[in-house]
Amino acid sequence: MTVSRPHSQFPWLKSRYQAVAGPWNDIGVQAKFYGRALRSTFEGVTHYRVELLRLIAQMGLGAGALILIGGTVAIVGFLTVTTGALVAVQGYTDFSEIGVEALTGFASAFFNVRLIAPATTAIALSATIGAGATAQLGAMRINEEIDALEVMGIRSMAYLVSTRVVAGLIVVIPLYCVGVLASFWAARFGTTMLYGQSTGVYDHYFRTFLNPTDLFWSLGQCVALAVVIMLVHTYYGYNASGGPSGVGEAVGRAVRTSLIVSAFVLVMISLAVYGQSGNFNLAG
Amino acid sequence: MVASSVVGKPVSAMGGFFSMALDTFVAMFKPPFAGREFISQSWFVARVSILPTLMLTIPYTVLLTFTFNILLREFGAADFSGTGAALGTVRQIGPIVTVLVVAGAGATAMCADLGARTIREELDALRVMGIDPIRALVVPRVLAAMLVSLALSATVILVGLTGAYFFTVYVQNVSPGAFASGLTLIVGSTDIFIALVKAALFGLSAGLIACYKGISVSGGPAGVGNAVNETVVFTFMALFAINIVATAVAVKVTM
Repeated sequence: MTVSRPHSQFPWLKSRYQAVAGPWNDIGVQAKFYGRALRSTFEGVTHYRVELLRLIAQMGLGAGALILIGGTVAIVGFLTVTTGALVAVQGYTDFSEIGVEALTGFASAFFNVRLIAPATTAIALSATIGAGATAQLGAMRINEEIDALEVMGIRSMAYLVSTRVVAGLIVVIPLYCVGVLASFWAARFGTTMLYGQSTGVYDHYFRTFLNPTDLFWSLGQCVALAVVIMLVHTYYGYNASGGPSGVGEAVGRAVRTSLIVSAFVLVMISLAVYGQSGNFNLAG
Repeated sequence: MVASSVVGKPVSAMGGFFSMALDTFVAMFKPPFAGREFISQSWFVARVSILPTLMLTIPYTVLLTFTFNILLREFGAADFSGTGAALGTVRQIGPIVTVLVVAGAGATAMCADLGARTIREELDALRVMGIDPIRALVVPRVLAAMLVSLALSATVILVGLTGAYFFTVYVQNVSPGAFASGLTLIVGSTDIFIALVKAALFGLSAGLIACYKGISVSGGPAGVGNAVNETVVFTFMALFAINIVATAVAVKVTM
């Protein structure tokens, strides 16, 4: 719809101003939403414990058609198996080009923990739990269920958003464990069973270079990523508008944003934790 | 009854997907071709994907070169950081980031758009007017996804190598000449070709899944949201599986 405005002084300047100020204000609105969501976390956990438990159960298994293919756990497991198998396929062949294919076990312990497991788990989280939350909240917003909650005196931020963030935070821990084990298993299976390396050689290098501290940092990365992803996804769902098609658009926009944000969070934490020297010793 | 719906639903969805894919392939090679829709869809997918491409490529390359250079430095082989960057960008980060962007940005936007049309009963209107929605809407979308996915894969590789150059040379103090000379040590035109073939496959399957989910939307706002959610999950799973199979095949071919 076009609106004719007879009296618009400096229309060019105004539209430029809007183009700059619009996204800038949007960031402010998002930051405010995240602040409110985090502030009402305590309220959500203490007041709406039943809802929290329900969400945890639902997120672990997934909702709708996703439950038919095994739920969130199976999806996370499947994605990390494929990325972990890449270590075997690519690592083994690249290492054997220079005659050190024995080091594939090391590649699994190093790349799986530092890069592959956190990144893949984050992607799977955003696709399953995150996008699901956006779809649910978006549908509630469009059907005016959120307004109805407010009218009934239920604090919708705490009841809908904070509980989802906390549930994501709790659910990611077992999911990460599934993910990292699946990637280890896939790399080991590919290298020893498909490429025929002896399991003893693989296990020796794998155990030598598997650093328990790195694993804890990797889990920490995943927890941080889960919080950020849930915040982004709930924001887009809670503020969905524009009828049924608006919900679809909100899900798409939320996935795009959370992928970008999680990539940046991953890099920042990696650089901060592992540092320039890499906190890594090949000699032992 | 419950058991039959549990088994029957995914099976019939699979059947529906494959029959739509078959219809699409048949319609693809039969004129008339919806050229205008193809161009506008290519532009649409490219527009939603270009920013996520840049924003995802840069952090992932930085992360990879950072992790890889730690390793190379430990061996005393920091001069080969160019080789590592090329290897990682062309063989791994390129396809993975293309998957993320095509599935997370392109397919979701496409499914949301098509789902909105389905829910507004525009597809039924097309059928009433005697226009086949597969020919008019699905074929141009699938082809557009393939084209844009090819272009994105090339962009990812270029941006990734540039980002790796700046990070390695200015942050990790490797000499630029050593970086540049190491680039083509292992990775050659075959790898680029494989990366592009993979990207085309990603675009094809992501486009098909997004279109199927989009045209089979039902059940109001929650239905559209769930359809987009399922699109993301299914495209991620399909594309990751294709990536590992294509990599294994490519490794066998190039060996």
